[in-house]
Amino acid sequence: MQLVINGLVIGSIIAITAIGLSMIYKTLNFVNFAHGDFVAFAAYIALFANTSGMHLASAFLVAILATIVLGVFMEKVVWHPMRRKNASRTTLIIISIGLALVLRNILIFIWGGSTRNYNIPVRRGFEFFGATITPNQVLVIIAAFILVFALHCLLSRTKIGKSIRALSDNIDLARISGIDVDRVILWTWVIGLGLAAAGGVLYGLVTAIRPDMGWYLLLPMFAAVILGGIGNPYGTIAGGIIIGLSQELSTAVLPTEYKFAVSFVVMTLVLLLKPEGIFGGAK
Amino acid sequence: MIEYVDILLPYITTILLISSIYAIFSLGLNLEWGFTGLINFGHVAFLAIGAYTTVMFNMSGFPLFVSVIAGIVLSGFFGLLLGIPTLRLREDYLAIVTIGFSEVLRFILLNEQWLTRGPFGIHGFGRPLQDVIPYQHYNTFLLILYLVILVIVYFALERLVRSPWGRVLKSIREDEAVSSALGKNVFWYRLQSLMIGSAIAGLAGAMLAFYISYIDPNTFKPIETFHAWIIIILGGTASNKGTIVGALVFCTFLSVTQFINRFLPFTAHQMGAFRMIVIGLLLMILMMYKPEGIFGKKEELALSD
Repeated sequence: MQLVINGLVIGSIIAITAIGLSMIYKTLNFVNFAHGDFVAFAAYIALFANTSGMHLASAFLVAILATIVLGVFMEKVVWHPMRRKNASRTTLIIISIGLALVLRNILIFIWGGSTRNYNIPVRRGFEFFGATITPNQVLVIIAAFILVFALHCLLSRTKIGKSIRALSDNIDLARISGIDVDRVILWTWVIGLGLAAAGGVLYGLVTAIRPDMGWYLLLPMFAAVILGGIGNPYGTIAGGIIIGLSQELSTAVLPTEYKFAVSFVVMTLVLLLKPEGIFGGAK
Repeated sequence: MIEYVDILLPYITTILLISSIYAIFSLGLNLEWGFTGLINFGHVAFLAIGAYTTVMFNMSGFPLFVSVIAGIVLSGFFGLLLGIPTLRLREDYLAIVTIGFSEVLRFILLNEQWLTRGPFGIHGFGRPLQDVIPYQHYNTFLLILYLVILVIVYFALERLVRSPWGRVLKSIREDEAVSSALGKNVFWYRLQSLMIGSAIAGLAGAMLAFYISYIDPNTFKPIETFHAWIIIILGGTASNKGTIVGALVFCTFLSVTQFINRFLPFTAHQMGAFRMIVIGLLLMILMMYKPEGIFGKKEELALSD
């Protein structure tokens, strides 16, 4: 039971952070290896705001805003010019690796490599069917639910949401039907990185904050994206929960250190057997 | 004057030693990426397999030469194992799977202590001719040995990539569909390229182990793979000569930045981070403005799809 709860908590974090990775992957047709480092960046901004006296709730918003600003800046300076040059998928992947190195080491440069925690009171967990749940874990699950619901409304009800879906479906069709592609891509970054940032701050609540926290989240995120079908946000959410659960449940039989390997094995199996993902999506 | 030589000579020897190891490691990746177009983000895994196999064979009583051969063969074999399921996948999937493979391997090396001594690492294994060469000249001897190996690997690779086999590789890189329409088994050629590239990385692993005479799993972090990527892109993709020059430039940069530490108000870990920021920016800027590298030819780029 304890493992199931831990799995759900980690799973919902993987889910909300991976949505952005999935959307960008499909719309811009490249794997953003720096996505995990945006997650870590957000956690550190929240840490900074929080330790300089801000309440964690407002620190949360500051972190999301800062991450979005950084993401939009990168779109303007790097990704948009590269798209104009018709850069290949491979070029973009290698650039994202460079960006990942830069971001992570800026965090190390400023805050050092050691683990940090938010400045919040430690509250005791309560018993639930023989398992201990901390208030922070409850907070994470509730926040994830709200974010996913908000995303659903955005994608299905608003014009921008529909344009985002149209773009990830077929970028050329979207363009000739009069959608302002660059503007919608910008919105895709805003929503994707906003969610990633929210996930990063929440992740910091349930584990410690470390510069490589995003790196270790990257493989589970890839696994969730591939499991759910690239570009399918609902599939990614389900994939994230499945990966989170299987990682935690694996600790019942395997050493804890192999958690990471579980998502790798699941991902590789899906790639080999059903590369379009178990919930459909892009080929 | 004499004193300068006494300090400078070992320093230059060290840089050249590290450069030759990185050069061979990167030449393996250059065959895979530069000539075949495979995105291998887990190249460091084969460096680790080569190093650990060599060391463990030697520790269980095999002569050094046999151990190194075992390291090379096993690295190539793991390249085959990794390639069979993954080389049919799209290039970005290959990138994800290979980087995952190298991290999972590192976790296995860290945790299976009965086999690898885990985080404590392994030392006390044999080094080539260590009983014959006087200790103070050992690095000079190693450097000569490594330069000879580098020259052999370089000429072997040059022959390979200029052979009909190498031309098929390039044609696959440029257009997979055309090569398979001409009756070439694209998958098999890619597999061969990955195997040979991995075997070369295995050789570099053995060389690394002999040089530092101590290995532990954290010697083989993913960043080493990206060092090789930077070396190749710096020198010019699909240029073996460029890769060697790239390795020399990169390793000189690494050690010089350790040197200028004294003039900058950074702590040791800040200096390390600063160096990585420069490397990351360099990678981004090269890919954005000069993807053909310093010595590469623009037409040798598999980036225009």
